[in-house]
Amino acid sequence: MSDKQQLVVIGNGMAGARFVEEMIALGGRDTYDITVVGDEDCGNYNRILLSGVLSGAHRAEDIFINPAEWYAANGVALHTGVRVIGIDRKGKMAYGAGGLLLPYDKLVIATGSSPFVPTMDGLVTDEGGYKKGAFVFRTLHDCREIIDYAAGGAQRAAVIGGGLLGLEAARGLLNRGLEVDVIHLMGWLMDQQLDPQSGDLLQRSLEGPGVRFHLEKLTTAITGDDCVTGLQFQDGSALDCDLVIIAAGIRPNVDLARMAGLHIRRGILVNDSLACRNDQNIYAIGECAEHRSRIYGLVAPIWEQSRVLAERLAGQNAEAAYTGSRVATKLKVMDVELAVAGEKDPLDDGDEVVTYVEPNRQVYKKIIVHGGKVKGAILLGDGEAAPRVLQAFDREETLPDNRAELLFPLGSDGGGAAVNAVNVADLPAAARICDCNGVTKGGIMAAMDAGSRSLAAVCAATRAGSGCGSCKGQVQAVLDSISGGPAEPEGSGGSGGGANGCSNSNFNSNVNARDDAAGSYIPGIALTRPELVGAIKAMQLRTAPAVLSALSGNRHSDPGSARRLDALLRSVWGD
Amino acid sequence: MTLAGTPEAPEIDGDAAFPVNNGALCIKGWTAGATLAHPERLTTPLVRGADGILRPAGWDDALERIAAAFRETRAAYGPDAVGVFGGGSLTNEKSYLLGKFARVALQTANIDYNGRFCMSSAAAAGIRALGIDRGLPFPLADIAGAEVILLTGGNPAETMPPLMQYFAKQRANGGKLIVADPRLTATAERADLHLRLRPGSDAALANGLMHILIRDGLIDADYIAERTTGFDAVRNLAATYWPERVERITGVPEIRLLRAARMLGSAQSAMVLTGRGAEQQSQGVANVMSFINIALALGLIGRPNSGYGCLTGQGNGQGGREHGQKADQLPGYRLITDPAARRHIAGVWGIDEVALPGPGRSAYEMLDTLGEDGGVRALLVMGSNVVVSAPNSVHIAKRMRALDFLAVSDFFVSETAADADVVLPAAQWAEESGTMTNLEGRVIRRRRVFAPPPGVRDDIAVICELAQRLGKGEYFRYGDTAAIFDELGRASAGGPADYSGISYAKIDANAGVFWPCPGVEHQSAWDRGAEHPGTPRMFADGFPTADGRARFHPVHHSAPAEEPDAAYPLYLTTGRNLAQYQSGTQTRRIVELRDIAPAPLAELHPVTAQRYGVADGALIAVSTRRGTAHFTAKLTRSVREDTVFAPFHWGGIQAANRLTNPALDPTSRMPEFKVAAARIETIDAVETDAVGIESVEIGAVEASKTIDAVDAAPDD
Repeated sequence: MSDKQQLVVIGNGMAGARFVEEMIALGGRDTYDITVVGDEDCGNYNRILLSGVLSGAHRAEDIFINPAEWYAANGVALHTGVRVIGIDRKGKMAYGAGGLLLPYDKLVIATGSSPFVPTMDGLVTDEGGYKKGAFVFRTLHDCREIIDYAAGGAQRAAVIGGGLLGLEAARGLLNRGLEVDVIHLMGWLMDQQLDPQSGDLLQRSLEGPGVRFHLEKLTTAITGDDCVTGLQFQDGSALDCDLVIIAAGIRPNVDLARMAGLHIRRGILVNDSLACRNDQNIYAIGECAEHRSRIYGLVAPIWEQSRVLAERLAGQNAEAAYTGSRVATKLKVMDVELAVAGEKDPLDDGDEVVTYVEPNRQVYKKIIVHGGKVKGAILLGDGEAAPRVLQAFDREETLPDNRAELLFPLGSDGGGAAVNAVNVADLPAAARICDCNGVTKGGIMAAMDAGSRSLAAVCAATRAGSGCGSCKGQVQAVLDSISGGPAEPEGSGGSGGGANGCSNSNFNSNVNARDDAAGSYIPGIALTRPELVGAIKAMQLRTAPAVLSALSGNRHSDPGSARRLDALLRSVWGD
Repeated sequence: MTLAGTPEAPEIDGDAAFPVNNGALCIKGWTAGATLAHPERLTTPLVRGADGILRPAGWDDALERIAAAFRETRAAYGPDAVGVFGGGSLTNEKSYLLGKFARVALQTANIDYNGRFCMSSAAAAGIRALGIDRGLPFPLADIAGAEVILLTGGNPAETMPPLMQYFAKQRANGGKLIVADPRLTATAERADLHLRLRPGSDAALANGLMHILIRDGLIDADYIAERTTGFDAVRNLAATYWPERVERITGVPEIRLLRAARMLGSAQSAMVLTGRGAEQQSQGVANVMSFINIALALGLIGRPNSGYGCLTGQGNGQGGREHGQKADQLPGYRLITDPAARRHIAGVWGIDEVALPGPGRSAYEMLDTLGEDGGVRALLVMGSNVVVSAPNSVHIAKRMRALDFLAVSDFFVSETAADADVVLPAAQWAEESGTMTNLEGRVIRRRRVFAPPPGVRDDIAVICELAQRLGKGEYFRYGDTAAIFDELGRASAGGPADYSGISYAKIDANAGVFWPCPGVEHQSAWDRGAEHPGTPRMFADGFPTADGRARFHPVHHSAPAEEPDAAYPLYLTTGRNLAQYQSGTQTRRIVELRDIAPAPLAELHPVTAQRYGVADGALIAVSTRRGTAHFTAKLTRSVREDTVFAPFHWGGIQAANRLTNPALDPTSRMPEFKVAAARIETIDAVETDAVGIESVEIGAVEASKTIDAVDAAPDD
């Protein structure tokens, strides 16, 4: 043993291992010999991704963050498959099962949580284990057992619990070809995170071949002699199944801490320093820790805790404090986009609730605003809106007065052909057509005004298209839509002078050539509707006679055409 | 391009036979002739008199002032107190000669250049991961053949428009383009998929893509096994970047992340390209390495129409970083700390190896310590407008004024030159000959078409003359630029960027030659004796690393040096406009370009504008912890709500670099130009006049007073 202090970490999961990583990154090994004890028999993996392993999306080896070799390579002692059974706070010693002695100067408890398993008949066998075919879903080991059992001929699965984990498990089993029944005690799915309406919409978007939901059902018994054959419910009904996963919630693992005399409420009570209330040499982080009356079950806050504690212990920042986290999360529930943050229901009259519901597409967006800031949000079925809303929540941003800005972000997608898809006729004169040479639509119109009539001439005059050349189609479209006419002043009559006359005659020849072209919107005017709209805008034509005079050589039109033209003008200029 | 006519009426045209741009020019090219006979052009040296005024002077007087100042500084403070600051627009010959001048004539360790602010992160990442840094390891034309391209932090549609023809061809061939950028840029508008990431979240985005590629079995396991090392650590790291988390960090919707990964992962050929967006950060090297990881995991590098590349910015941004004008490098892209490299270069230069200085301070660190104990006290600036282009420019302008002596060579009185003790009138592009190395690593010629105006001298002549006056003339005798190039070739021989097999004649005969191109006597045994054709495509057979394999580097995302907070609630990111180039010394003086962009426009989202009461076209003050700059507000939905974009081409109170954060990348020493925390406020016209928003238009010989006035702005 060296002259360094001994730092012992109990727990090798999302909190414990992350904390060790942070300690190493911050130079904590200069001060401490670090020892990690984990009761699972492997290195550290990303528990978040277990449902991906169950569904077959991830290979198990791809979810490891710190394989066992990593610890050795980084000078950290790792004991896997060892449960710590006692802590002697006076003697500063932790005891591992099997006689492992772990003297410590500083002790970090990161024991996480365990599945909450409601009491039900027929679950636990005489040997103390679960009945064959019944599982919890917490560890990679659980995951492998479920996969093996499912592969061994199971066909109908039941998942007890319609929360996030239960739904993830259901997805995994569906992907493996089983039929799945989800049993939920409450009136709607994910009742911890969702309000009834969004829970209902979520259910509707999840329902499909192979999956059924049973709400407000309390499972009282698991049937089957040697292995699971079904479930019985409090209401007297029953369900056949040959595999059951119990995903009814989690409980912080606090037994060890309680035995050691540390202060416990639901979790191990810690201060902003993350030290235990009654022992400043023992810290708790992760799902077993209770900080300011909250227990966090999400990765982001737990990693924040890990960072803060590492900063303190590595001596980087002895004053580092954890002051709590705003809990928002992005979930992927059976491929349905869902984001939740903060409160799910308004708490007082001052809370403004903004809701958008589209039952048909199972889209539900709700934000609870208080003092101009997001206090809670539920976003179902719209993956594009989530980042913006969650950022506003995270950073406590003051929202735009128009809340729709938040709920309906304009897609920022170029969409590739977006530039070409824009109807150039609708663009303002200031719109840039050629990026390489900064040529605007107005610049092209001016060149046409000055006598350039062909694509080549316009390009030569303006340099449009002389760079990458990708705008040539648009330049041509400007040519086509305007056909040589410079903008006429409002009304008609025009003071354009010679160029104007010239362009009109030019236009007329164009008309003659294309008079019978298919797609002509108004007989006598050889333009499609979009082209006509473009010409009307470009030449500022506001009345039917002005249009006819400018574009059809003052021909008479039939009454039907006049009506169409009037309607078109109204749509362009308003009434 | 081709050039004819006269300096007063230059006739510029695209050269359709030139294989890089196929004759395409953007407006900066079309108007480039306007600087030649520009009325503000310097045609005589300027020397600052005892009264503090810069006045025309003779060459002999000006050069002797410089030589004397350098001698005195050196005598008083030692050789490292004299510094040289170069530029990425200088020709290869000048870059090489400037490095040699610093090491041989001045014997100073302190030479660096503005490319440190530009290419250094991509360069360092390339060397670490692939063993070598050549912007594009393939010809531009290969872009047209790539099925999918991921371009991150680059906007060539505005910054390098002729390049877009290749993207247009790629699209016509059915290819897809993914652009990652906090703004919906002109380039992003052309993309099939835009990933509007939060500034500073680049590595998280790359790691998130990697996560999906691994999960969905889209990586190339055979390639990884045969041609790379270090993948396991990247795989373990990627396990911590699951899509929901990456969405939270980057702000890019998970569905877009998925689409991007699947497009890349299912393509037969694909490219990953980076621009300054990812690189100009305090984690620029890490960011680039994270994107190289993707290219390696997909098995792209060294395969047809595939690979990783960075889009180099300045005219000679590639060549400028190869020939020894960097603080840590010797010609041939050699490390100045490598004993073998030092021996070789000392041999070529005919000096004692122990006389060769060691590594000096990087660009920002050199500027930051100007005039201080142990810092540079006499500085020669060539081809750079540092007070506009360096980050934290208010501070840097102060440091510049703390110098005992400043000499600047430029063709206008730039903001930097305005504060100099001696200003030398330099020849321009059309008046000099030499070579440049473009973004593909293709060495090309620059040809002298016009004689410089009377009174103007080429930088090369200036360097040689100064060396003479410093008693080192014997090391700087060249008949012409070809002789310098030949020496450069010998110096580079055996180095990563080997030019020893390239000659002007070979460049002319082949429309450019791609390095590495070893000379006959420097080739490996198996190809000895044959004329080396150059290397258009690299990495087909291996990587120039010790074991011939490329290296994965696990890269954690960490937050940028400054994140928005209550006092500075927005991100500021900076960049370029179409009609301007770099510090604007040239382009702000071209009427046609000024008309397109007469003043810097700060882009902000309408929602953000409403929050701060800013109308379109209003004057706003953007402030960071380092200073305040004034811009005209442009409201656009193309920018994120949490971000302000400002172009950096303007000087004085309009200089975006008054705001930028000099947090440096630990490896490349690149400043964090792309991310800072900022706030915005409206200002009224009266206040604007008080701080002289117009008076920074330079050209006045007494411009230093103007700059003083500007610095009296409230933030100072």
